[in-house]
Amino acid sequence: MTPNGAIVFTLVVVVAAMMSRMSGLVVLYLLCALFAVIEVGPNAAAALRRAAILMVPLAAFMVLVWVGVVGRAPADIAASQPGSRAGALVYVSIVCARLFLIVAIVQIAAMRFASITPLQFIKLLRAPMALKRLGVLTLSLIETLLQAVDRAHTALIASGVITRRLSARNVFNGWVLVQTVWLTAITSVTGRMRDKWPMEHTLGLLDPLLAETRKDPLRTPDKIWISCAAVAVAGIVWGDFYGLP
Amino acid sequence: MLTTPRLIAIALCAALNFAVGSIVYLIKLPLYLDSIGTILCALLIFPDRRAAFVCSFLAAMISTVITTLFINPFLIWFSATELALALVAAYFIADAEAIFRARPLPVLRFGLRVVLYGILTGVVSAVVSAPVVAYVFGGVTGSGSAFLVAFFLKAGQHLMAAVLHSGFTAEPIDKTLQVLFAALLFRATPKDFIDMVRARPQPAPT
Repeated sequence: MTPNGAIVFTLVVVVAAMMSRMSGLVVLYLLCALFAVIEVGPNAAAALRRAAILMVPLAAFMVLVWVGVVGRAPADIAASQPGSRAGALVYVSIVCARLFLIVAIVQIAAMRFASITPLQFIKLLRAPMALKRLGVLTLSLIETLLQAVDRAHTALIASGVITRRLSARNVFNGWVLVQTVWLTAITSVTGRMRDKWPMEHTLGLLDPLLAETRKDPLRTPDKIWISCAAVAVAGIVWGDFYGLP
Repeated sequence: MLTTPRLIAIALCAALNFAVGSIVYLIKLPLYLDSIGTILCALLIFPDRRAAFVCSFLAAMISTVITTLFINPFLIWFSATELALALVAAYFIADAEAIFRARPLPVLRFGLRVVLYGILTGVVSAVVSAPVVAYVFGGVTGSGSAFLVAFFLKAGQHLMAAVLHSGFTAEPIDKTLQVLFAALLFRATPKDFIDMVRARPQPAPT
C-alpha cells in the first residue's frame, strides 16, 4: 500500500464514520479490523493501544459531563423532555464509538508506515513540490525548536526564572521561555538562509530527493481498499435511506 | 508568492505552533496557545495580504496535521477554525503591525489592539468551531470549557447554544493571550529576518 492510498482510504472511512449510525459503525469497525489484520498485522495491537490511551480520558470526561452533570441526552433537551442518565449514556457511547473508530483508523494507517522515515513518507506522497519541501523543512525546524525548548527550559530553571512544576513564576515568566526559543530559532535559521544553505545548495538538493519516481500514485491494494470503503459508504447511505438503526 | 524565505517562515511558524504546545505542557499552564505561529506568520508577511493569508493558513495546517499525527488526533477537525484564524490574522490583526513594532512601545494603543483583536479572534473561533464541538464531540472536547458547556446545558440551553456560549466565554481569553504573544514575538523578531521574508521575488535576468 502507498501513503496516497492510505490517506484516501482513511479519509473515506472518517467521512463514512461521521455519516453513520450504529449499524454503519459496525460495518466500518469490521472493515477497519480487516484492514488492520491484512495491512498492519501484529503491530495493529500497538496502534489500537495508542488509540485507546488517547480516547479513554475523553470518554471518561464525556461520561462525567453528560451522565454525571447534565443527566440527559441532547435530543431530550431539544424536545424539552426530562430524559434520563441512561439516555445520556447511550448518546455518549455512540459519540465515543465514532471517535474511537476515527482515532483508531488514523493510528492503524500511520502504523502501516512505521518502518519508513518521515522523509521517505513525504517522498512517496503525490503532492506539489512546494508542499513536500514545506513538510520536510517543518519537521527539521520542529527538531531545532524542540532542542531550543530543552536547552532554554533547563537554563531558565537553573537561573530560577521558572520552576519545574506549575507555579505563579511560570505564569509570569513562561513568556521568557517562548521568546528565548523563538529568538534561538530565528538566529539559527537566518544564519542557515544567508550562509549555510546557499553554500551547500541544500534546498536545491531537496527537490530531486523528494521527486516522485512512480507515475501511478495508487497501487492495486490501494484501489481495493478504497473500493471497499466506497462500498461501505454506499451501504451506509442505503441503510439510512431504509431507516436502519 | 512562496519564495524560499517565506517557505522557511511558514515552516518556522508551523514548528512554533507545535513547540509552544510542548512548552505549555512543560510549564504546566492551563492554556492552548496553539495558534501563535499562525498569527505571527501573517504579521511577518503582512503588506501582501493574500500571501499573508495563504502562508499563515499553510503554517496552521502543517502544524495541525503534524500535531494530529503525533499528539492530538482530534485537532484536524478544527481545520475550518484555522482557516478563519488565518483570515482574521491576515485581514485584521496584521493591520496593527506598525503599532506592534513601534519603539518606544505605545502601551495603551498596543494593549487596546491586542484586546480588540483577541476578542474578535475569539468570537470568530468560537462561532466556527461550535458545529464541530457540538456534532463531532457531543459538546465535550476534553478541555475545561466542557464544564461551561455542562453548566449551560443544565440551565436548559440546547447543545449548539450551550457550545456557542461556552466558546464566547472561554475563547476570547485564550485568543487575546495568543495575539499578545504573537505581537510580542513579532516585536522581538530581528528586522533583517522580516525584510528577507517580505522581499518580493526578483524576476530572472534576461
